[in-house]
Amino acid sequence: MLGLGADRLRADMSRLLALLFHQGVLDEQFLQLQQLQDESSPNFVSEVVNIYFHESEKLLRSLRGILMDREFSDYKKMGIHLNQFMGSSSSIGAKRVRNVCVAFRAASEQNNRAGCLRALELLEHEYCYLKNKLHEFFQIEQQRVLAAGVRYPMQN
Amino acid sequence: MAALQRVASSVSTSASSYSSARGGVAAAAGDVPVPEQFPAGLRVLVVDDDTTCLRILEQMLRRCLYHVTTCSQATVALNMLRERKGFFDVVLSDVHMPDMDGFKLLEHVGLEMDLPVIMMSADGRTSAVMRGIKHGACDYLIKPIREEELKNIWQHVIRKKWNENKDFEQSGSLEDNDRHKRGNDDIENACSVNEGTEGALKCQKRRSSVKEEDDELENDDPSTSKKPRVVWSVELHQQFVSAVNQLGIDKAVPKRILELMSVPGLTRENVASHLQKFRLYLKRLSVGQQGGISNAFCGSLDSNVKFNPLGRFDIQALAVAGQIPPQTLAALQADPLGRPTGPTGGIVTTVDQPALLPTSVQASKGIAIEHGVAFGQPLVKCPSNISKHFVEDATKGFGAWPSNNLATVGPSSNLGGISTQHGNIMLDILQQQQRQLQQQHQVLSLPEPSRSITVQPSCLVVPSQSSVCFQAGNSSTSVNQNSSYNRNAAIDYSLLSPQSNNSMNIGQLSEGDLKAAGIVGGYPGQGPMSPSVSSCSINADNSAARRVQNTSMPTRAARQSSGLAPNICGVQGSYGAKSGEVLDQGPLANLGFNRGTCIASQFAVGQFETPFTSQGKIYVEGNGNKVKQEPSMEFMVNARVGIPLLQHFSPSDIMSVYTE
Repeated sequence: MLGLGADRLRADMSRLLALLFHQGVLDEQFLQLQQLQDESSPNFVSEVVNIYFHESEKLLRSLRGILMDREFSDYKKMGIHLNQFMGSSSSIGAKRVRNVCVAFRAASEQNNRAGCLRALELLEHEYCYLKNKLHEFFQIEQQRVLAAGVRYPMQN
Repeated sequence: MAALQRVASSVSTSASSYSSARGGVAAAAGDVPVPEQFPAGLRVLVVDDDTTCLRILEQMLRRCLYHVTTCSQATVALNMLRERKGFFDVVLSDVHMPDMDGFKLLEHVGLEMDLPVIMMSADGRTSAVMRGIKHGACDYLIKPIREEELKNIWQHVIRKKWNENKDFEQSGSLEDNDRHKRGNDDIENACSVNEGTEGALKCQKRRSSVKEEDDELENDDPSTSKKPRVVWSVELHQQFVSAVNQLGIDKAVPKRILELMSVPGLTRENVASHLQKFRLYLKRLSVGQQGGISNAFCGSLDSNVKFNPLGRFDIQALAVAGQIPPQTLAALQADPLGRPTGPTGGIVTTVDQPALLPTSVQASKGIAIEHGVAFGQPLVKCPSNISKHFVEDATKGFGAWPSNNLATVGPSSNLGGISTQHGNIMLDILQQQQRQLQQQHQVLSLPEPSRSITVQPSCLVVPSQSSVCFQAGNSSTSVNQNSSYNRNAAIDYSLLSPQSNNSMNIGQLSEGDLKAAGIVGGYPGQGPMSPSVSSCSINADNSAARRVQNTSMPTRAARQSSGLAPNICGVQGSYGAKSGEVLDQGPLANLGFNRGTCIASQFAVGQFETPFTSQGKIYVEGNGNKVKQEPSMEFMVNARVGIPLLQHFSPSDIMSVYTE
């Protein structure tokens, strides 16, 4: 039963991944990331994604700070932040986050404060969705690893 | 004469690239064996403030078996690079970093350690990429970066090494040379033949290689890129050099140089990258590589000139033509070396040069002459009989021609001085050349405007005989013609250069020719003449270096030479009769000479490979074993010896040698 559980969890992961791909949340870059995971770094994907979350939250806070706290927003700095956000998002394959970043950057380049605020909210929303889904994904994977690692003395 | 000069320069350039390939990362050379594991172990420094990307890149690079060092701060990275010079092969840097802009880092790296820097950014807009290229990035990767892209970054390390050597010559001509060697892009180059210099430039632009693009952009603003090479190579470099001199090479920084130069449209980046190359030159010079020096000069001067692929075709076509008169061969090969064996009693040796050069230098100061002009390569005396012959023809032609020819001659002499003085710094050389050129100009009372024209002719390598006619033709005719001509010559040259010693041919110019030119132009022949002679000796040196490089491809050279030899004969024969007439002839003559050079070079190659014994064989057939006796001599010596021997050869003999 437990062995079957591992297979089922694997199928769950695939389904979730397929869903995220279908929704455009992730793209093939995420698969590249998975391919980079090998014996030398068995938790590479989750490691990178956690770094990404950490960095992204800093960026989001900073972006919100720029937009909220100042009378005249520092659009240049915002653009730099967004560039970084774009870079990291695209590097892990967070496609929708990246797309929102592009729109956000366009708004910031036009000094469009309202557009920036809208984009920021959308960005936060997308980011949260991605984070939740990826958390779910890694949880399933953790279970799968556990299940696959269970030994059955009875069988052998 | 101009044509001869050109040949010499091209030869030297090729030689330099070869040497570099051998010495450095050999992979690019193709001929040179590459370590089996080559890309593995490449030492990469990754700089990115985005730790997500940093981690991913690290993993990707590790999977490429590269040695990865990561750094999240540009300032720290720069310190690391400074402290551990030579510890990294390539730098990957993000563009936007909080502590230091990626471009700033790029600039520092370029100036201080001259490593290839690959920029990366999520911003893939053309303007952003353009900015990166303009700053001298050798590549610009757009995030997300894929593993496949990183697998390939070793090429920038190789390319950088290559380009360094090429940078000595700095010019597009070098790149073209390489192309020919690699057998690439012939079609691309072909267009330049039909078009003017402009066309050549355009062709260059079309090149897909980022590095090449980069080179071009480095030198000039995109807006001015229409005449990029010309701008740097001509007056700008002169100004640059004088600015650096004024500041002192150690204290020269791009900003100050830019201020001193006060050239509108020139950016700090342009100056920075140029300074970087310039420092490399100096470094090379101090190392004392003869070949390198000569090449560098040629390269810097030439920069605007392009080689045409077509030149090769022309040569081939010519190759079919008739026999080589023994006289011409002798003249070509023997005299340049200044070897006593040569037919002419009055050969000027290299020894004379030093004295002459200083005088020429003293005479003129201040005005910057085009590099191309300065370029003139060494001219050597021709055997007396031949020279007379040519002189007569030449003089006829010359009467109508403007003095430009003389100017070209003078530059060549300058080169000779430079090359002879291996220890000298580039600055000195350049200055000398310029001064000499100025002198000549003054004497001739020629207006500067013709510079571009004169420069191009100088690029061409013309045998002594042909050169006279040739230059005359060029000078009299419109500039455009000259340019086209030059290209052909350049092409030939590039083709030939890989084979080896062109210097031999160069040396061949007869005194008579020079004198004749001087008379015609109203130029006092002695001063300029002697310098040219000295240049011959220089070439010989270069040839030696070349030989070494060439060794890898001896067989090829031999083949080419066999094919070429016949061509030379044909060209020369026609030459005497038509000398004054058409530009077309001029190019043909040049081609022929080139072939002659090729032959000489081949000989040298032969020597090199099978250390002196091979030479012995070749010469033996023609001369009856004289060569064999001298196997113990050094390369330089051998080259010289071999050449004089050639004089005695009948065309048929030469042919037989080659075929063997």
